[in-house]
Amino acid sequence: MEVTLLLLQQLSVYLVITYLLSKTPLFMPLIFISGRNSHRIACYILFSSFCILGTYFSLSIENALANTRAIGAVMGGLLGGPLVGLAVGLTGGIHRYSMGGFTDVACMISTTTEGLIGGLLHLYYLRKGRIEQIFRPMIALGITLFAEIVQMLIILAVAEPFDQAWLLVQSIALPMIIANSLGAALFMSIIQDKKAIFEKNYNAFSTTALRIAQRAVGVFKHGFNAKSCQKIADIIYQETAVGAVSITDKEKILAFVGVGQDHHLCGTVISSAYTLQAIEQGEIMYVDGYSTSYQCSLNDGCKLGSVLVIPLLEADGRVFGTVKLYEPKQKLFSTLNRSLGEGLAKLISNQILLGRYIQQKNLINQSEIRLLQAQVNPHFLFNTLNTISAVTRKDPQKARELIQHLSHFFRSNLKQNIEQVTVREELEHVHSYLEIELARFADRLTVTEEIDERLLSLKIPTFTLQPLIENAIKHGTSTLIGQGKLTIKGYFLEQSKETLVVLEVIDNAGNYREPSSSTGLGLQIVDKRIKNQYGQQYGLVMTCEANQYCKATITLPLHSRQEA
Amino acid sequence: MLKAIVIDDELYAREELNELLVESQQVEVIAQCSNAIEGLKAINSLKPDVIFLDIHMPQITGLELLSMLDPVSMPKVVFVTAYDEYAIKAFEDNAFDYLLKPVESSRLHKTLQRIKLINEQKLDQPNYSPITCQKLELIPCSGFNRILLLEPNNIEIAMSEQTGVHLLTDSDKFTASLSLKVLEEKTDLIRCHRQYLINPTCIREIKLLDNGSAEIVTKSNHHAPVSRRYLKVIKDRFGLL
Repeated sequence: MEVTLLLLQQLSVYLVITYLLSKTPLFMPLIFISGRNSHRIACYILFSSFCILGTYFSLSIENALANTRAIGAVMGGLLGGPLVGLAVGLTGGIHRYSMGGFTDVACMISTTTEGLIGGLLHLYYLRKGRIEQIFRPMIALGITLFAEIVQMLIILAVAEPFDQAWLLVQSIALPMIIANSLGAALFMSIIQDKKAIFEKNYNAFSTTALRIAQRAVGVFKHGFNAKSCQKIADIIYQETAVGAVSITDKEKILAFVGVGQDHHLCGTVISSAYTLQAIEQGEIMYVDGYSTSYQCSLNDGCKLGSVLVIPLLEADGRVFGTVKLYEPKQKLFSTLNRSLGEGLAKLISNQILLGRYIQQKNLINQSEIRLLQAQVNPHFLFNTLNTISAVTRKDPQKARELIQHLSHFFRSNLKQNIEQVTVREELEHVHSYLEIELARFADRLTVTEEIDERLLSLKIPTFTLQPLIENAIKHGTSTLIGQGKLTIKGYFLEQSKETLVVLEVIDNAGNYREPSSSTGLGLQIVDKRIKNQYGQQYGLVMTCEANQYCKATITLPLHSRQEA
Repeated sequence: MLKAIVIDDELYAREELNELLVESQQVEVIAQCSNAIEGLKAINSLKPDVIFLDIHMPQITGLELLSMLDPVSMPKVVFVTAYDEYAIKAFEDNAFDYLLKPVESSRLHKTLQRIKLINEQKLDQPNYSPITCQKLELIPCSGFNRILLLEPNNIEIAMSEQTGVHLLTDSDKFTASLSLKVLEEKTDLIRCHRQYLINPTCIREIKLLDNGSAEIVTKSNHHAPVSRRYLKVIKDRFGLL
């Protein structure tokens, strides 16, 4: 009984060391079974040490040692597998052998065997695909119990003289079996706790990071500016619950939210030495407010007490701004938020670069619209002027109207920055154009319009119909020796689950060929813009029956997600 | 007075030019045509002194029309265009006369003066070959109650008769507004007789006759005479001795 208590006392010291070690990164490899060599080596070193530690803490009894060496060997095998178990057991065993005594050989053999037993259980659970089971303290208890009984049997079998061995086993068997089994269980329980804490933090971290990432998507669509930065700062502030969040460019504060927002005003020039240093050197600056004191450079009464400044980097590594996380004086910076902050800066940098890319793409789209507008070809203009010149002789009133149509047509071409117009507005633009073409091709062109009135107030991208009509006349009806007929249709189409808006321009020439890169540019842009905005299933489709008709069909969704 | 034909597909453009020509009091507009096919017919039948020719026209452009005219009986040509960078450059390079729409009356006056000068001094016609096409893609024909544009490779035989130039396809007969000479120059048809052209890809049989001449039978069983003079040319072409 006395031996049991003494051994348990030793065990306590042993476990305290284990507990302290569990607070260090040394323990990290133990909580995940990766099967990598680094994990195996870490297990080997750690548990060999525990094995040796167990031997040192042993009680000398009857020229032998009552000890807790078995914990290291069994745990090593359990967590590291048979090879590690064997190695740990052997190391611990050789060390024990070096201490001498009549059980030295027996102990060496038994310790090695114990390591192997732990390892075999590891292998068993691995094969069954239930490796997580080894983290259960009861399993550790059971296997150590079994291993200790085996050890006692080995001592009886190997140690000489047998009488002495028998006496020894009688006195140490129970204490050692109890102490080692209990110790292994507690050891495993410490590992299990560590694992649980880590997973909890890890989950919290990834959840927060994911939510921020999700909410940040598309915020920088319109560029890195005060408005978008304020949005991101708000998101970070809400998700991380830090004291304050600020985003700056290289000169001034673009956004600030949280404690001290009364004096950290947007547009204020950066004065913090740490921020300037982060910008200068492109390095993360952390001022904890304790080892390095932190004082807000704007206001002495500021409650902020610590700051993390993370530079925002271009693809080529140049700094273009910073993200700053603050905590007030009475609160400590959590490591979680520190590492999160660094990840966030990366996320924001990427989002900004993506935003810039999208913006440039939009600019290209914009210039494509301008190109469409510029496509008002001189041939059309001079022919129109010629028509007006002729009409002026006979019908000055009509000439005046044509000039008005022409100026209306050019004026709407110049409204370059509007992305969307109603169908009614697009039709007005088209009408000005058609009035002129009807005058030019006086005796050779007729136009019919069949538009569902409910369509008129719907929004469509600018220059959707105009290029189609121009195309139908230029490459269609105007090439006919006989009568040219142009039909413009607009209607709703119920298709499977959704209502489509369909716009059609039909000519009776049937000349359409697959567009070469230059001639079909106008139509390609119309199609591309619709697809960009509404999705790949919409857009422009050309159908043609040679010498019969040519039909340009545009489909759009009635309820576009774009509006939401 | 110069006799003129105005050829333009736009009604108001024709009327405008007509008005200006009338105002000039030097020109009588004997016809206005709204496309190249009508224009070709009118030129052949009315023999104008000058034509005012639009470049952009449906089916057959002004330049293609020019390629269809027989150089011997070619009227003076004044090109009229609203805007066509390439054509204008070609006109300038070759010193051809052209007018830009809307036409200025002073500019028109100059053009008319120049035409008069050419007429009075019997100067040579400019050579239009730099801007006309070497091969015609479509041959305008009038059939029964219709205008037709025939691809040259569909023609088996072209023959010149009292009533005009007739074209035989596998199943039809059309009357073309082009001379045999133009067809010979601007298509792959080859001459086999003073009054006949034959499509070499449609020959099924050449029957040699006793008097040294021959007769061609086409795939669609049309017959064309081959004169002694052209038989040798045809034999050479097919590598026969």
